[in-house]
Amino acid sequence: MTRAAVVLTALVAMAAVACGGEEPDPALDHVVFMAGFKAQANLPFVAAYVAQEKGYFETQGLDVEIRHASSGEHLKLLLSGDVDITTAAATSVLKRRSDPEIPVVAFVLFGQRGQQAYVSLSDSGMSTPDDWEGKTFGYKISVPPDYLAVLKSSGVDRSLITEVNAGFDPRILTEGRVDVLAVFNSNEPDTIRRLGFEVTTWEPEDFGVPNLGLTYIATEQTAGERGDLVQRFLKATLKGVEFAVANVEETLDIVLEYAPGADRDHQRFMLETELADARSDLTGQNGIGWMTDGQWMALYDYLLDFDALPNPFDYKEAFTDNFLRRVYDKGELSWP
Amino acid sequence: MERSARQQRAEHLPGHEPGVTRAASGRLRLSIRLAALGYLVPAAMAALVLMVGWELWVRLADVPVYIVPGPLKVLRRLFGDVGFFAGHGATTLMEAGAGFLLGSLVAVIAATLMAHSRLLERILLPLAVVVKVTPIVAIAPLFVIWFGFGSAPKILIAAIITFFPVMVNANVGLRAVDPGSLDLFKSLHASKTEILLKLRAPSSLPYLFAAFRIAVPLSVIGAVVGEWFTGDQGLGSVIIVAHNDLDTPTLFAAIFSLAIIGVSLTLATFYVEKRTLFWHNSFLA
Repeated sequence: MTRAAVVLTALVAMAAVACGGEEPDPALDHVVFMAGFKAQANLPFVAAYVAQEKGYFETQGLDVEIRHASSGEHLKLLLSGDVDITTAAATSVLKRRSDPEIPVVAFVLFGQRGQQAYVSLSDSGMSTPDDWEGKTFGYKISVPPDYLAVLKSSGVDRSLITEVNAGFDPRILTEGRVDVLAVFNSNEPDTIRRLGFEVTTWEPEDFGVPNLGLTYIATEQTAGERGDLVQRFLKATLKGVEFAVANVEETLDIVLEYAPGADRDHQRFMLETELADARSDLTGQNGIGWMTDGQWMALYDYLLDFDALPNPFDYKEAFTDNFLRRVYDKGELSWP
Repeated sequence: MERSARQQRAEHLPGHEPGVTRAASGRLRLSIRLAALGYLVPAAMAALVLMVGWELWVRLADVPVYIVPGPLKVLRRLFGDVGFFAGHGATTLMEAGAGFLLGSLVAVIAATLMAHSRLLERILLPLAVVVKVTPIVAIAPLFVIWFGFGSAPKILIAAIITFFPVMVNANVGLRAVDPGSLDLFKSLHASKTEILLKLRAPSSLPYLFAAFRIAVPLSVIGAVVGEWFTGDQGLGSVIIVAHNDLDTPTLFAAIFSLAIIGVSLTLATFYVEKRTLFWHNSFLA
């Protein structure tokens, strides 16, 4: 064999080893989980990271492959069957579910409050939504219904506000291109503060908007035909949340394994904000992730009021609390 | 036979084949029309076959509409709301056009400077390459912060994406003069400006139009990329909202609209090229 052939054979062998990865354990059920954005300390992502690293998935007989979406492709991959479970905001679940061809179902509600808030620079002197009149408001992609609800609740004349699609870069606020900016509450306010600017924050819930946050979703088919697998995934991830509540610093170590190079303090802000948003009187009694028909109905009614749903439909189809009822016993997670 | 002023001018341009008569020009126009038909008919047939195959695949494989919509659904969406897509398309077209003109103007100025000075070429070309290899999607969000929400950032992105191919081809074209003609101009003591305007510029036109054929569709892509990041006007904005809403018929209808714009602009470029380079061997052959 020539030297070239030996080198080539070695390279092929190395490539085969590199591409092969670890063989899935046949004793475990394979699940593909896709987080709906890049790796960071969003609570539903963290729950999966911790469950993976602490062996909770394995305890539940699961071999979970964690992937991340970069441009909103997670829902399409869920519907095409390439992904088994992903994350979605409750508002998004209702919007998607209003299309009968998109049969997704939420089975846990991490965010008892919505993800979105509105901020202005503290220096601007704005203190109430009344002050938004005559100013420029920047939104992401489309005008959010909770912004309209805040205006209505505060009696603000929308025609006096200039609305622009400002994209996803919060520097648009610090550079004075907009006066009020729609933000993800667990992320951008901290980013803006790190740029050296204090912000005034308005949260829609404080104006009576019944917003809800992130959920895990699966297709109706997966939830129906592979319900046992969904239940075990839920149990392992809720165990991950329990761990995160009790061990924030170690949880951040785990997050940084998935998001190398990320700023630890910023991730801490995100995690602590989302842990706070995941707790309420309801979850205190029933466990983190709990949800009720009343919460979804209120969200549905409000979205209908503001023409944010393409079609009316039975909102009960969009969620199920069956799995939560099976994994919790009087507010305590049944483990293993 | 009296010759038109156009023909007389043509005979003095570099690259012109002597002895082309009015009858030959008439035959040329006819042959171009036949050639155009020869291109259009197979292209239209291929598009039709593609559409039919696509529709059959979507129906037979029962592909959900949120994954891929059938072309009939897309066409219904497009022609059911033509005003919507035409309005957004006009915005994109305006931004792309302005970006193309700006990028091309700067590129031709830079190429002219480089054609006259190797030192300037060594200074400007690496900078141009840096601009070329910079991922435009990485800096596009910053353009919004720097230049605001109006058309300015989209036009600038379209200009940047247009700049490089035009500059490179213009530079090559300005240098690719016939040595004999250059010697003649020099023996007649022609100034640098006269050589530029009467020899180098006409010689560079075929290269420039080759670049325009690449740059014109690129300018549309630049405008669309700019629209992704801000604003609620233009087909890029329609695409990003439709993507967010899993509204694939609208998304594909916007892509169809962009295809119509791209093909129309390419044909328009070809037409202008034909009218401008009627004297060049490439059109006389």
